[in-house]
Amino acid sequence: MTDPNVPQAPEVPEAPAGPYVYDYKAAPNRQIVMPKTVPLPSYRTYLAEQKAAAEADEAKWQKSLADYETAKAKAEAEGKDAPKPPVRAVPRKDDNDLKTPWPQEAQDPDLLHLQACLGDKVEEIFEQAGELVCQVAKEAIFEALMLCRDDRKLAYEMLADQTATHYPAASDFAFTVVYHLTSISRRKRLRLRILVPEGFAPESACAAYPSANWMEREAYDMLGIRFANHPDMTRILCPEDWEGYPLRKDYPTVGWGQRDISFREDRGGMLDRIALQKAGQLGINLKQPKAD
Amino acid sequence: MNQPTALEHILITTKVEKVMNWSRATSVWPVTFGLACCAIEMMAAGASRFDFDRFGAGIFRATPRQADLMIVAGTVTYKMAPIIKTLYDQMPEPKWVIAMGSCATAGGPFDSYHTVQGVDKVIPVDVYIPGCPPRPESLIYGFMKLQDKIMTSSLADRYKDIFEEVG
Repeated sequence: MTDPNVPQAPEVPEAPAGPYVYDYKAAPNRQIVMPKTVPLPSYRTYLAEQKAAAEADEAKWQKSLADYETAKAKAEAEGKDAPKPPVRAVPRKDDNDLKTPWPQEAQDPDLLHLQACLGDKVEEIFEQAGELVCQVAKEAIFEALMLCRDDRKLAYEMLADQTATHYPAASDFAFTVVYHLTSISRRKRLRLRILVPEGFAPESACAAYPSANWMEREAYDMLGIRFANHPDMTRILCPEDWEGYPLRKDYPTVGWGQRDISFREDRGGMLDRIALQKAGQLGINLKQPKAD
Repeated sequence: MNQPTALEHILITTKVEKVMNWSRATSVWPVTFGLACCAIEMMAAGASRFDFDRFGAGIFRATPRQADLMIVAGTVTYKMAPIIKTLYDQMPEPKWVIAMGSCATAGGPFDSYHTVQGVDKVIPVDVYIPGCPPRPESLIYGFMKLQDKIMTSSLADRYKDIFEEVG
């Protein structure tokens, strides 16, 4: 017979999903926090934000004026002293040294030349802190790169860096791929940018700049952006049999149970693939051995 | 009186095992193998200021097949772990391992998706040296601890281990 006063035994906690599930209760600061905003610098967004802020400020001022009018009328009707008129707040002076430099309208001849040559394929051009940024359509990136390399007025000979960023909060794209170009002869730098949705394979820059080879492999390894017409689109930093893309924002810092070390000789399955290929050339089917 | 004879002037008596251990402990050849910043300290320990060679461990061999000691100096990633295992397997017996620095002993600051939490998950370790990175003095102290271990080891223990493994 069970005593109703005795509290029930606590429920058995659920077994962890894998052998190496991290104890997030012990370290809550390790939990994944997905970003809510898209901190992508853009002149257009900056202008829209400024306009929205000015409108909000104006609406607030109008509301305080209206409040003052009603309060004044009420005080007159009751025979009291009139309330103080509202004073419009002067915008606070910011310390510009501490602020991120805001995007400015493109003045540089390089950006204007790019826009003149590419036309509609340029989505946006702006300058920020003296750095030139040009956002082009994702289908036209190779054309833009070739133009930057070959045009006499641009002459960007070097691809200094190519990297990508994950923006999970954005609705119409998932990643930005950024190309940092350097012109050694003209001592200038230019940043090209494309917005890439999930699953889209942008054209590889290897044919224009051979240094893009490893950087694109890194972008694929870390974020899962596949580049079309790349000579060797394989992982470069992680082991060949890795699952997932570690630099995505939804990837936990401690990993997805990648804690088992594989000591196999052929971890990527490359030897298997070569063997199958060779056997196929010889007319042998290794996959389905004949039953004697 | 107890005057030593002429023979006793030139002869000493000892055990074969002790001679073996002494010879092993005073000529430990490490494999040239650095993984991260701890390797810089390992190089400093080998250079003239600290001079690892005073203890017989200055000859860093470029192949594991000629080495007795592996100093795992640095962060062990999952991609590097199978290679460390291969190198360890290529070293001839008797062989020893020093885990140098907090990364090699316990993962260090990298409680992360890519780092093995201690090289002892992959290969057996004899001496752990804490520090990030440890000073060359720490490495030398750890190495002297390893020498103590070698001097107190016994051939019988070694054979017992091997036969127990075989069964």
